[in-house]
Amino acid sequence: MLKVAIVGCGKIADSHASQIQRIKGCEIVGVCDREPLMARQLYERFPIKRYFSDITELLTEAHPDVVHITTPPQSHFELARLCLESGSHVYVEKPFTLCYREAERLIALAAEKKLKITAGHDDQFNHVARRMRELVQSGYLGDGPVHMESYYCYQIARSGYAGALLGDPRHWVRSLPGKLLHNIISHGIARIAEFLTSDSPHVLAYGFTSPLLRSTGETEIIDELRVIISEEERLTAYFTFSSQMRPSLHQFRLYGTKNGLILDQDDETLIKLRGNMFPSYAAKFLPPVINARQYIGNLKTNLKTFLARDFHMKSGMKYLIESFYKSVAEGALLPISYREILLTAKIMDAIFTQLDAKDSQIRPVYI
Amino acid sequence: MQPLGLTRSTDHMSANNDSICPPEHDSLIVKQDDLILVTGAAGFMGSRLVENLLNRGFRNVRCFVRPSSKLSRLEEICDRRPDEARIEVVKGNLGSKEDCFLATKDVAVIYHLAAGRGEKSIPDAFFNSVVTTRNLIEASHSHQCLRRFVNVSSFTVYTNKQKPRWRLLDESCPIERHPELRGDAYSFAKVKQDEIVAEYGKKLGFPYVIIRPGHVYGPGNEGITGRVGINTFGVFMHLGGSNRIPFTYVDNCVEAIALAGLKRGVDGEVFNVVDDELPSSRQFLRKYKRHVRTFKSIYIPHAISYLLCFLWERYSAWSHGQLPPAFNLKVWHASWKKTYYSNRKLKEKLGWKQIIPSAEAMRRFLEACRERGLHA
Repeated sequence: MLKVAIVGCGKIADSHASQIQRIKGCEIVGVCDREPLMARQLYERFPIKRYFSDITELLTEAHPDVVHITTPPQSHFELARLCLESGSHVYVEKPFTLCYREAERLIALAAEKKLKITAGHDDQFNHVARRMRELVQSGYLGDGPVHMESYYCYQIARSGYAGALLGDPRHWVRSLPGKLLHNIISHGIARIAEFLTSDSPHVLAYGFTSPLLRSTGETEIIDELRVIISEEERLTAYFTFSSQMRPSLHQFRLYGTKNGLILDQDDETLIKLRGNMFPSYAAKFLPPVINARQYIGNLKTNLKTFLARDFHMKSGMKYLIESFYKSVAEGALLPISYREILLTAKIMDAIFTQLDAKDSQIRPVYI
Repeated sequence: MQPLGLTRSTDHMSANNDSICPPEHDSLIVKQDDLILVTGAAGFMGSRLVENLLNRGFRNVRCFVRPSSKLSRLEEICDRRPDEARIEVVKGNLGSKEDCFLATKDVAVIYHLAAGRGEKSIPDAFFNSVVTTRNLIEASHSHQCLRRFVNVSSFTVYTNKQKPRWRLLDESCPIERHPELRGDAYSFAKVKQDEIVAEYGKKLGFPYVIIRPGHVYGPGNEGITGRVGINTFGVFMHLGGSNRIPFTYVDNCVEAIALAGLKRGVDGEVFNVVDDELPSSRQFLRKYKRHVRTFKSIYIPHAISYLLCFLWERYSAWSHGQLPPAFNLKVWHASWKKTYYSNRKLKEKLGWKQIIPSAEAMRRFLEACRERGLHA
């Protein structure tokens, strides 16, 4: 039985506890939060053995095999380091750390201690993302991706969290290097990082505060971001984060030398884009029919998964946790490579550095 | 004056005291110049409570508001009372112990109205209701000058099962022992908030009163309560039927809250707040449609809603939460079971009287709904 602990008992810890419950062969031996009341409320609602308000006590008394770090990102590095030092494997919620350097140090420490560590990029493992990965691995794209487009949007108006952030000048998100973006974009960036082949891609970022936020007096939070990522004139990617654009997409488009794919996370659909054109008028009539069939196929798959009781909103998280535990217990491959975690951190660093610099590299040209 | 960690948007707004101190002044635990703290003071009930206290002749009110709160209501109150009364507006976060310490300094009575309403996640609601309440209690206890802490709770804490007097829900009815199974963040947080207040009352001899309003309605809260029904995919499912809805008009409720902080001899008591004449769900819906807006509604008989809640609960458990347990038998009992309500204790011990008659209250509410153009 794998002994699991959770450090940080806020909103996302609930999702972790719910998904861990669904995994066989593990038990939650302890939860910990600096605020004892928060630790107790989680302990009272889930089958959890003990609760703590001091991480050192948790580590020495509960001896967890794996610790999930679900605290605000500012504490990820220090808590993960403590867990690794005391011999536990670590699952760190996104964003993995505050910067590339911290990520690099944690991964090095894990390797030194012969322990494993992963990042909570669970959107990479929901049903549709796994179907996409299988297709790419089967060579559907041809000689790999040529261009990618990742959309990761966020409806500020619908979010209570954003309301709290915007109204509170002392909110913890404001002290992150990338502020609101830092806490959200890693899912969308990780999608791109998975398919990049270079460890040092070129990153161009352009961001601004939307007129809506500006009208509320907000000047600090950037909620519109466009990024171009490229590697050696071979592979390019666009990343879009927007709080204003509708629909508020969570989409990934992947174009290869032969065919393309569109993954829609919100609809859980995966659409194949055929590389070859149909001749003449067939190009006007056949693709809509083929696309309609594809959407019906996606509907059937989703229904089947739902009926099989495996269509939970956090199915990606369950799969990622389960894969990580398998890697820990059976020595299987890690679900997310260290290279991908580091590359995601590196791209985010590059974005925030550019947004931070008053003299942005991209200047709009007014014509 | 700029206390550490707190920002004040409007210090010492001056206000006129044009009201007369009530004759029962000797039966009160505070004097007119004692400092009174109202948390959630910019909100639907909080701003009215501030006005109520000023009308009673209290001249020293500290209003605690979130940094993001709109202060227009409080400013209106100050504009109407430009004289010797002192309203101090403190912006801060009750999650911060330091803010709580500063806010509770020299305070004789605390009216704690701030709560994590509208939170969907249990940890968020818990933090904004329970942790904040604990911070406030500990801070005020450290100052050793508090005479009463009024905790504003809700009917949602009752199980509405195994009631001593069959269908009558009153203060003696059992509290939900497993609020985590209700699937509702607000209920969970409110049960735990009441628990922590009672725990500190016992542990520290902390003087408190708990007020549990039914559904507080009035201009500023124009929605239709879930006890009447729910709007799903464009169709309103009417679930209340002939049930009485435990309405309390905002001014009537605020009157009860104000009294709970002032009256002598009620420490440790719990008071339910409902108005005298309660309409049935059907009567309310009919009036709403007639005066505000017509819309399609389908009546779901109680037996059917019970069965649907039962099935939903079973499916949620069987599917390991593929559908969250938003509807379950605990929710059905708390929201849609036929129940009668009492305000007897409120009248007997606090001397509460309904200041806005039910018919007038409903008229004002419907008019506000019409003006806002809201619909179900």
